[in-house]
Amino acid sequence: MNKMNRSQFVKRFQKPLILLGVMLVMVILQPRIFPTFNNMLSILYAVSIYGTMICGMIYAVLLGGIDLSVGPVAALSGAVTVLTIIGMGKTGTSVVVGIVLGLLAGAAVGLVNGLIISYFDVPAFLITLSTQSIINGVAQLTTGNHTIAAMEPPSFTFIGSGRLLGVPVPIYIMGIMMLLTYIILNKTVFGQRVYAVGGNRQAAALSGVAVRRVSTVCYVLSSLMAALSGIVLASMNQQAIAKAATGYENDVLTAIVVGGTSLAGGEGSIQGALFGALLVGVLNNGMRLMGVPSTYHTLVKGVIIICAVATDVYAKNKNSGLQRSMFGRPFRRGDSKGALKS
Amino acid sequence: MSDQVLLRAENIHKSFSGVQVLKGVNLEIRSGEVHALMGENGAGKSTLIKIIMGVYPKDEGTIWIQGKQAEINSRSDAQRLGLAVIYQELSLIPTLTVMQNILLGQETRRCGLLDSKTMTRRVLELMERFDLYLDPGEVVENLSIAQQQTVEILKSLTVDAPLIIMDEPTASLSASESERLFDIINRLRDKGVGILYITHRLEEVRLLADRLTVLRDGENVAVVEKKDYDPQKIIRMMIGKDIATSADRVAMHRPGGPVGLSVRGLTRRGVFENVSFDAHHGEILGIGGLVGSGRTEVLRTIFGADRADAGEITLDGEKIGGTVAGNIKKGFGLIPEDRRGQGFIPLQSIRKNIALTNYDLLSNALGIVNSGRESRMCDDAISNLAVRPNIPSMPVINLSGGNQQKVVVGKWMARDLRVLLVDEPTAGIDVGVKEAIYQILEGLAAKGVIVIVVSSDLQELLRVSTRILVMRKGRIFREFNEGFITQEDVLAAASGIDNSREADHE
Amino acid sequence: MRQESIRRIISICLLALLVAVFSLTSSYFLAPKNVYAFLRDASVTGILAVGVTFVIITAGIDLSTGALTALSAMIMANFLFYLPDVPVPVVCLMSILIGILGGLLNGFVVTRLKLPDFIATLATQGIFRGLTMLFAIRESGRIRNQVIKNKAFLAFSGKISSGLFYVTIAFIVMVIVGQLLLKKTRVGVYTYATGSNRKSADLSGIRTDGIKQFAFGLSGFCCGLASIFLLARTGAATVELGTGLEFDVIAAVVVGGCAFSGGRGDVVGSMIGALFMSILTNGIYKYNLGSEYHVIIKGVVIIIMVLFDAVYQRYFRSRLHSSGRKALKGKAVAQ
Repeated sequence: MNKMNRSQFVKRFQKPLILLGVMLVMVILQPRIFPTFNNMLSILYAVSIYGTMICGMIYAVLLGGIDLSVGPVAALSGAVTVLTIIGMGKTGTSVVVGIVLGLLAGAAVGLVNGLIISYFDVPAFLITLSTQSIINGVAQLTTGNHTIAAMEPPSFTFIGSGRLLGVPVPIYIMGIMMLLTYIILNKTVFGQRVYAVGGNRQAAALSGVAVRRVSTVCYVLSSLMAALSGIVLASMNQQAIAKAATGYENDVLTAIVVGGTSLAGGEGSIQGALFGALLVGVLNNGMRLMGVPSTYHTLVKGVIIICAVATDVYAKNKNSGLQRSMFGRPFRRGDSKGALKS
Repeated sequence: MSDQVLLRAENIHKSFSGVQVLKGVNLEIRSGEVHALMGENGAGKSTLIKIIMGVYPKDEGTIWIQGKQAEINSRSDAQRLGLAVIYQELSLIPTLTVMQNILLGQETRRCGLLDSKTMTRRVLELMERFDLYLDPGEVVENLSIAQQQTVEILKSLTVDAPLIIMDEPTASLSASESERLFDIINRLRDKGVGILYITHRLEEVRLLADRLTVLRDGENVAVVEKKDYDPQKIIRMMIGKDIATSADRVAMHRPGGPVGLSVRGLTRRGVFENVSFDAHHGEILGIGGLVGSGRTEVLRTIFGADRADAGEITLDGEKIGGTVAGNIKKGFGLIPEDRRGQGFIPLQSIRKNIALTNYDLLSNALGIVNSGRESRMCDDAISNLAVRPNIPSMPVINLSGGNQQKVVVGKWMARDLRVLLVDEPTAGIDVGVKEAIYQILEGLAAKGVIVIVVSSDLQELLRVSTRILVMRKGRIFREFNEGFITQEDVLAAASGIDNSREADHE
Repeated sequence: MRQESIRRIISICLLALLVAVFSLTSSYFLAPKNVYAFLRDASVTGILAVGVTFVIITAGIDLSTGALTALSAMIMANFLFYLPDVPVPVVCLMSILIGILGGLLNGFVVTRLKLPDFIATLATQGIFRGLTMLFAIRESGRIRNQVIKNKAFLAFSGKISSGLFYVTIAFIVMVIVGQLLLKKTRVGVYTYATGSNRKSADLSGIRTDGIKQFAFGLSGFCCGLASIFLLARTGAATVELGTGLEFDVIAAVVVGGCAFSGGRGDVVGSMIGALFMSILTNGIYKYNLGSEYHVIIKGVVIIIMVLFDAVYQRYFRSRLHSSGRKALKGKAVAQ
């Protein structure tokens, strides 16, 4: 019993320990710059946008799915918000209306994704890859392929560029969203159902969980969070462009899988994903401080993913003896049907 | 040819974690014979097959294949020696053609390319030799299950002097398809193939088998020649007592309580037809029958997991709809047969698994879970059901089979349950825990819950049921509701010897 | 066979329909010059699609093809820039070698480290892209896109006298070789078996890990081959070369009828898919629509094809079921 508790302890605090270790190395390498308050803030600031996106995509991944459309959705929502604000004369009300419309645009995309994926039983990868392409085109149309400046009103620029008590606002937004996601995943019925559907679709269906409805809501949430981060991003850059968040889905996925969430679904946590994001953030920051050009970051990220997931897979095989599909396909063709009327 | 011994297994012993499953079993199969292997669930048939096929290592004993002593350590060893199993669940490659499946792993090549002409010829020759014709170019997934079985049989015939083991091959076949299979088996026998035929259906044994080995509790009871075949005697051999003593006879009761669940004309086309019965408060209604007789499907349809094509279900006079969530609210619960695949969420903790069906009781209007109540519910369930280890945060996958089942039961116990549908309550569970599960079911019934139990284990069925329905080929075939009955009676009804109720000449 | 043949006929009809619509609305569309142009456009994607077809048939996915193509191209650019004396064939061989090594790395991560294909190739995508940047040619520390002046190498972007581009010839050869490999060799049959029912394939003595390794290796080989023509055409190796190419490849393969669940589809299908996408692009530009419409239509086409395949599969399966049920019902009546 004692031994098991110890291994549980290590398992539980493995990610923070790794993060601390990496930070310690950075402190030794860059003792002057790295451990300063401002540098810590800049790390958090750098991860705040995709940190907010994580809070949405984690639902799709916990289901055993994926959402590749978050980047273009963010760009589209940013554009919708900025255009609404400009169109309504840059007043305070226009900011509220703009944000609401931006979020709605995102949620609509999520609803389409969710309905198609859940009700046709088709691979989330292909559907969200397609909507990624489609929404990218829509965002280009919306912006007319121009960069739309959004320097005012201050109530809008405050979201992305302002500071509260010396801390940039996007960090608060990420923090609040992380907390909210933590509560939803751990304290609400919906959260329990997400884990249940991701962990065993058939058992969940036979326990009375409306599998398709839960899965649709997850994709809506994913797009909603992407939309929010897109609005923050537009405010941060004080402009809206169609390519604003291109490729962000890779960073978000990296953080989630490095944080120990399995792409097979049913396993993982938002805390883990946060550590994944911070780990990548700290490494990027450290490399920048040491003068490694940012162009190498993809290389480092790739290596981190392989190391993190390989150790996870290895540990899981060793500890539980659970025969899980290692190919990200917990539900092979036909399997998901058994429990539901088809 | 016909007296050549293909396989001889002598004195096979096997135990799992201290429990002796096989205690010196002998088996001999000659070429050109259909050898039936019978025995109740748990008699050790499947363990014996797995040892022959190299899935499990044997503890003791010897196996000779065509007179040579053989060490079989893996399925590929078994395959090389000409042994093949045809399981109920087929193991073909669905998107490849008949020819590709038959010759998978033994393709003919010329200059590195597949020589499809020669391969087609080989397959056609094989089909001709055994009189089994299929289109070699047809894709396997387009075939019926019976045709797919034929492909598996052909695949196992590519070796010399083959021995084919068939494990309940007719379970998922229709009557006409079964007849076609019997035809194939007879032809294979004529060509000198040895067939080990495992079944519960005495009727099939009478039709097919040249000899019959009966196992009971991991021991040989007898080897019966075709001329000595007597169904009543064989049933007695399987069950183990020559004359049923009063201890083996279990009293059935006409239900005393009021009718609770009433099923009328329930039909799911092609699966079961016109199933009607009443279940009363406070009784445990057992449903017996062979695998594939439609029992599981009836339970699933009552629960709302499958759609009924016709029929009506009422609970205490109130009509029952067809959704799982709605039925759970009305007090239904289902414990599925496939525990690992449908019963629980493997990586989730005991607490989350028990809470999963009960969030209507554990959350407020906003959908926020009251974790205190969740913990208490879980602690109650763990202590009531004596789940071991009693750690609420333990992932259910790490528990033993019996404790996993207790967790699955636990998620329904915490509710205001009115009907509990149980499919194979103790499949794969240690003997010690079985009794605990029976007592839980009896406790529920005593509280007025309607418990419906489907089981293939006759001993279990008689142990828990106060009344038994026997299903056969998608219909309710017999009801035992009074007097004393024995396992023999149920088995006879299920396997179709007892024709007193239906003029069914099969 | 029936089901797959019908799917093939449908994709050919769609292709024909597309050609018919565009040729009726634009007199220029079927002009030889335009035909060769869209064939060329289909070719690089098509060559990559041959390898990815194998990977997808094993129920896998390869997201690293774009980045690996860029890496191969960058290595060639280095040779051509720093070692101009190395003969062109050797340079091309180097490119193919890099491709195969990259593919084998993918296979290693998937089969040995047991990462899901998606994550594994997402990670190697980052690694290949990073290595491309590492090898980028620099002047005083800044990346400079060096224009390739080697005439012999640039000849790869040329065409034969009739106007058919070399790259299209390479594409056709790869399709023929790939289709033969898939349908006429043991490896091909085992590729289907691995993706269709991995457990049964293992039990039939097939080394399924080896098959996955081979599929990824082949995909890498195709990257190496494609990069030669891509580099010759662009004339300079940039670090962004081939960005997003992997998605075009996947689109072609999906439109061609490969199922993500594995075991279904073939190289000819993917070739039709690649042609379909390039003709669509070509036609859209003829309508003077911007690139935004192109990406929207591309996405809509993939969704439609995925949904079509899902519904079509279900229809076929239900037809089988109902015929099985009818047999049972007939028996019930007979009793």
